[in-house]
Amino acid sequence: MNGSKRVLLSIASAVSLALALPGAAGAAKEPLKIGVPTALTGTYSALGDEAKRAVEFAVNEANAAGGADGRKVEVRFLDTEAKPELARQQAEKLALEGFNIMTATIASGEVLAIGPMLNRWNAMFVATINKANDITGKQCQARLFRVNRPDNSDAAVVQPWLKTRKEAKWAIVAADIAWGRNSGESFKAAAGATGKSVVSENYPPFGSNDYAAHIRKVLDSGAEGVWVALAGRDAITFARQAKQFGLFEKVTTGGVSFTTDGTVKVLGDVVKGIHTIVNYSATLDTPANKKFVADWAKAYPGEAPINFQGETYIGMQIILQAVKRSGSVKPADVAKAISGGTFETILGTQVMRKADNQLIGPNFFGLVEEAGGKLQPVIKMTVPAELATPVPDGSCKL
Amino acid sequence: MIQIVNGLVYGSFLYVLAVGLVLIFGLRRVTNFAHGGFFMVGAYVSYAAAVHLGFWTGMVVSVAALALFGVLLDRFVFRPLSKEEPIVTLLVTFGLLFVLEDLVRTIWGKDFISVAAPDALAGSVMLFGSQFPVYRLFVIGVAVIVALGLALWLRATRVGLYVRASSVDPVTTGMQGVDTDRLSAFVVAIGTGLAGLSGTIAGPLMALSPSMGGYIIIDCFIVVVTGGLTSFTGAFVAALVIGQFHNLGLVYLPEVASVIPLLIMVLVLGLRPQGLAGTGK
Repeated sequence: MNGSKRVLLSIASAVSLALALPGAAGAAKEPLKIGVPTALTGTYSALGDEAKRAVEFAVNEANAAGGADGRKVEVRFLDTEAKPELARQQAEKLALEGFNIMTATIASGEVLAIGPMLNRWNAMFVATINKANDITGKQCQARLFRVNRPDNSDAAVVQPWLKTRKEAKWAIVAADIAWGRNSGESFKAAAGATGKSVVSENYPPFGSNDYAAHIRKVLDSGAEGVWVALAGRDAITFARQAKQFGLFEKVTTGGVSFTTDGTVKVLGDVVKGIHTIVNYSATLDTPANKKFVADWAKAYPGEAPINFQGETYIGMQIILQAVKRSGSVKPADVAKAISGGTFETILGTQVMRKADNQLIGPNFFGLVEEAGGKLQPVIKMTVPAELATPVPDGSCKL
Repeated sequence: MIQIVNGLVYGSFLYVLAVGLVLIFGLRRVTNFAHGGFFMVGAYVSYAAAVHLGFWTGMVVSVAALALFGVLLDRFVFRPLSKEEPIVTLLVTFGLLFVLEDLVRTIWGKDFISVAAPDALAGSVMLFGSQFPVYRLFVIGVAVIVALGLALWLRATRVGLYVRASSVDPVTTGMQGVDTDRLSAFVVAIGTGLAGLSGTIAGPLMALSPSMGGYIIIDCFIVVVTGGLTSFTGAFVAALVIGQFHNLGLVYLPEVASVIPLLIMVLVLGLRPQGLAGTGK
């Protein structure tokens, strides 16, 4: 090989390498790994399944559009049975396996168990269903965010509704877990603020089989209304038994997470006429939501996204936008991009409040009634974002 | 007073489920962890049959299907494993529970199912000045019929005599010419059939889900252990006592209500290690 040929070959090799390198770098771009520690079995299994489908939908949609920031999106689900200690173990497993951007856990107690560990695991978490005030209150964390409506937001919706009600005496039936207790306290505060009294407070154990004792207590208390904060299997079991005792006919009933799209589908006429907080509805009239609902119907023919699916999809939208904005899948970078950020979601443009990592959003109140040929929670009152997301009470120190 | 009737309902329900465990333990000495799974399968089979054939036919189909399953279980699981250490059978039944849950999840999905009470039992009656669901009275009635039926069968029939003899000394009973394997298959079938019956009556009371057995089986084991493992009378008394204290606990001591059944078990075993009506053998 003479000198000029050697030079030509060197130039050719260099050009080839230069051409190949960007492609090689692109192929090697680290994937976005989403970890989902959620209730795949147990009392909240149907809720976990709803959240799972929303995450899968968002992941498939992102990958079909070329990924997040050009990165393939991967997801892994592990069962927590909605038990805080198991949730902590499963989340740690996910984080250690690299699925360290986590979301879609069901019970508040699980998130409160995971939150303090996020820094140690080099992970971050976006709560999409969990309502306990402490998540963005006194137990807030720099890498823990919430996109759904907390209990104090629900209370902000309940209060104007309670003002319109003539019933003066109320009873509470709420699950004996962090969320249920929180919700009960919030309702009590709202009742106090509107001149109503709470005459019976009942916190049945999570996963109860028999609510007869509590139903009887409510009936004997002289309450004219009952506020129910039970979800999943608990909600269905309670509603069926309450109907048998004639509770819904005797007192006005309202609740949160009690008569969701999912439970209404299972219970049908049993829960017709029950008042309910609606955190998300497929019927919300925003262009982005209409597109989401239409795309969902293509992915799951004949179905509309239900409340926990809408809320979980918002969480996924924010994670995906933050990854693109930060150009990274490192939890610290993504968390930095989420904190104080503005995001386009199915509910419009929303801001993640920097002070406590709570997404500022609207909240709704409605009634279970026939609409569009089927029984479902129908929105009757909308509370705008600035009123529906109470200002931080100062307990969160980030 | 009405709260006592409520406690009676829960106790009755526990009894119908727990007595199946007592039967199987009595003959096969098997701690059947899959019993909650049979209860769950019974609820789903009954629901599926009831959709087309009505509640009552659903009940018959569920009891018959679970009884048949019991015969197969005894023939292909309990009998081959009878010479093994008890822990082997226990682990197999534990595994069977997961298989059943996955099977039901595959067939009926993960969504919860709610079953309405049959029309004849859908109303309510006035009881001690309060409206009380007829269906709940029906649950008490089922428990009474099961208890009386089992007592009559065990005390007044030849097969009942064999069952009692075999539960005390299966070897000697076999030497007297009793086909103990056939007898065991029959008894296991009744035990699983009762799980089917309790699954059916659970339908209008609680949400159906693949993991529903797990919510009730712990209370059942507490009933069986407190009652004395092999005693039908003990299980009956224990179920009623635990149902009553569980319910009254929810009314008067809600903070500790969930541990009351466990406390009763500890108290009874502390005073009578053989249980309320156990023989200690």
